[in-house]
Amino acid sequence: MANERLRVLEDVEKEIAAILQCAGNIVLELSKDKHNASFLDRQLVQFQSSVNRVESELSGQIRYLTQVATGQPHEGSTYSARKDCQMALNRAEYAKVKLGELGRTCEVMLEQPQQHQQPT
Amino acid sequence: MATQRVLPQSKETLLQNYNKRLKDDIRSILDNFTEIIKTAKIEDETQVSRPTQAEQDHYEMHVRAANIVRAGESLMKLVSDLKQFLILNDFPSVNDAISLQNQQLRSLQEECDKKLTSLRDEIAVDLYELEEEYYSSSYSQWDSTDLPLCEAYRRRDSWASPDSSCSSNQGDREDVDGPPPQETNPQHHLNGHGAASMEKP
Repeated sequence: MANERLRVLEDVEKEIAAILQCAGNIVLELSKDKHNASFLDRQLVQFQSSVNRVESELSGQIRYLTQVATGQPHEGSTYSARKDCQMALNRAEYAKVKLGELGRTCEVMLEQPQQHQQPT
Repeated sequence: MATQRVLPQSKETLLQNYNKRLKDDIRSILDNFTEIIKTAKIEDETQVSRPTQAEQDHYEMHVRAANIVRAGESLMKLVSDLKQFLILNDFPSVNDAISLQNQQLRSLQEECDKKLTSLRDEIAVDLYELEEEYYSSSYSQWDSTDLPLCEAYRRRDSWASPDSSCSSNQGDREDVDGPPPQETNPQHHLNGHGAASMEKP
């Protein structure tokens, strides 16, 4: 599904931001007098895994697009189904309006019972 | 083709360009980061004085950090281009999305029409009685081209059995040619073509 691939690309964007964040944290930690070695190791592992993941994911997407893409524009459309549905909703709305008018007419007639007596 | 296109690239060239950008940006991030870590190493022997070396290292780290950020931004742009390319050229998923949307719209339309049909069937009975009541009163102003429901049913019954005599009230009304097409067609009325024969005088 297209939504799945787009969601994966959104995750890749977050991953790229995480790469830069990790690099910044490592340099910040190295700038201190006393380094926290375990923190440095964790950040480094995360940095490397994020870089590998971004590269593999984007390569996979480009490979998929190489197999799937053509030079032609897509000419599909949902216009006809959308128009039919819109007309069905218009029919329903019109029926509602007419029934409303009929109801009001009946109510008015009922409020004036003397005028509706049939001539003999 | 667009008149403002600067580079007439084929899709294949475009994808190769994407690959190259990906490799270059990842390489740039890794190399610059490695060089920053190497530069952070304190060396005892330097060719220039320590402050000068420090200043040089400081400037180099700034430039390499800026390179890492530029490569990150370039990767973000690449992801954006890939998203756009995917939306425009991934035909299997576009076809799936279109067919799913069509299916949903058609099911909604069928449900709507089914409910309208059942509503029509329910109202037809009441409408028959209403029309009979109305047109037998002194307030009816119908014209012969729009038959009331009760009269339409009577005529349909008489046409269905040809041996039966015509209605005695035919002399008061104009003849129509054949079975009237406006015989109880709520769809027809619902689309706004019905006559306003039920309005009050």
